[in-house]
Amino acid sequence: MSTIPKELRYSKDHEWINVVEGNIGLCGITFHAQQLLTDIVFVELPEMGLTVEAGERVAVVESVKAVSDVFSPVGGKILEVNNALEDEPALINTDPYEGGWIYKIGMDNPEDLEALMTASAYEKFITTGK
Amino acid sequence: MEKTALYEEHISLNGKLVDFAGWELPVLYTSIIEEHTAARTKAALFDVSHMGEIMVKGKNAGKFLQGMIPTSLDRLEPGQCMYSCMCNDRGGVIDDLFVYMLEENDFLLVVNASTTEKDVRWLSSHAAGEVEIENISGLISKIDLQGPFSLQILSDIFTDEALSELERFHFMHSTYEARPIIISHTGYTGETGYELYLHNDLAPGLWRALLAKGKDYGLLPAGLGARDTLRLEACYSLYGHELNEETTPYESGIGWLVNSKENFIGKSALLEQKKHGIPRELVCLELVDRGIPREKCAVRIGGEEIGITTSGGYSPTLKKGIALAMIKKGMLALDSFCDIIIRDNPCRAKAVKRPFYRYTE
Repeated sequence: MSTIPKELRYSKDHEWINVVEGNIGLCGITFHAQQLLTDIVFVELPEMGLTVEAGERVAVVESVKAVSDVFSPVGGKILEVNNALEDEPALINTDPYEGGWIYKIGMDNPEDLEALMTASAYEKFITTGK
Repeated sequence: MEKTALYEEHISLNGKLVDFAGWELPVLYTSIIEEHTAARTKAALFDVSHMGEIMVKGKNAGKFLQGMIPTSLDRLEPGQCMYSCMCNDRGGVIDDLFVYMLEENDFLLVVNASTTEKDVRWLSSHAAGEVEIENISGLISKIDLQGPFSLQILSDIFTDEALSELERFHFMHSTYEARPIIISHTGYTGETGYELYLHNDLAPGLWRALLAKGKDYGLLPAGLGARDTLRLEACYSLYGHELNEETTPYESGIGWLVNSKENFIGKSALLEQKKHGIPRELVCLELVDRGIPREKCAVRIGGEEIGITTSGGYSPTLKKGIALAMIKKGMLALDSFCDIIIRDNPCRAKAVKRPFYRYTE
């Protein structure tokens, strides 16, 4: 498993989006983010049907010691949430890009993707801070 | 930040270092849950050298100490230790601590890291008669070995026959590398285990020896994160959370410590409080709804605020949120429900009997 999959886009707050078809994307937090948090024990999932703007808080992920906001990398409407995270929040730690997906969003504005980092830009960001 | 004698060990174990009470210590090495689980099912090793050790000795030591704590020293014998606290004249808790009787008038007090200086000043300013107060915290390292396999691991290094006979709340003198060490059958995790007190230069050697001997038993080094989840499950108070100078032992669930027939600082305030009714109490809350309570969350019944959480978190053993809360006395009976307000959302919780987790042989 790559810790920074090439086909995804990344935000400065360590969220990822995977455009699965048309304007629909799956979102979660990165390997790097879960590694910093360690044991994730609780996920507050977004409300179905909620409309969010790019950069708006959409979910909350809690480790034993910390409460961490998840911000939506793009604007749109929440189409689906990963209910498996209610019983198994640690999926975000073990499988952050697949089993640990947090929500599915219907994008309002696909141009939001342009503002996000590519995999190589994200790698540079987490190693150098730029 | 200050460093303990085991700082380099934490670096080599990839400990995630944080600032705790001005000390640079690991909050975890691999995972809080892994380390917590090791303590509950196998064994865990903690560096708690930041804690304070204060010697109180001299012809008047016993009498003096009895005047500083609300717990009777009558039944304490050399080789025995007990939990107690010191109160101010309002009955508020200055610190909670352990009292070790080394000899008749020779005591070792083990206190919190964040309050060591305050405690030394408090004791020194009240010292009367032939008594010497000595802060030896800077010389002493403390290593806690906790969990079901503690005795087996410790016995591989300390072959004293007395070790397996050492009862809880008792301690013994032994040697490590021909130098003195105190081994105490005590702990802060709710598991069986031992607390080891020795001079700083010996600590790295013992730490590494314990990790090596403990490997086959599944011993893990454990950080402050696991120390907190373990003590919370056992319903042990943490100074600054359940205990502080504005709260009496009666209010914070340690009223059983108040049993001394002698005069002590805070006695009249405590008697007054008992006479007029204790206004608050500490309760144990288990989340029924999903959610993890943290400290300083409001506690409500039917929308009315009745108190606030003093500690909260995730219980790896119960797999749910748990909290200790200071509430108006009598407002929440056992097994009845309340709401803990977590990030503006009321989450249902139940008042349960302490402790959340009890050690069974």
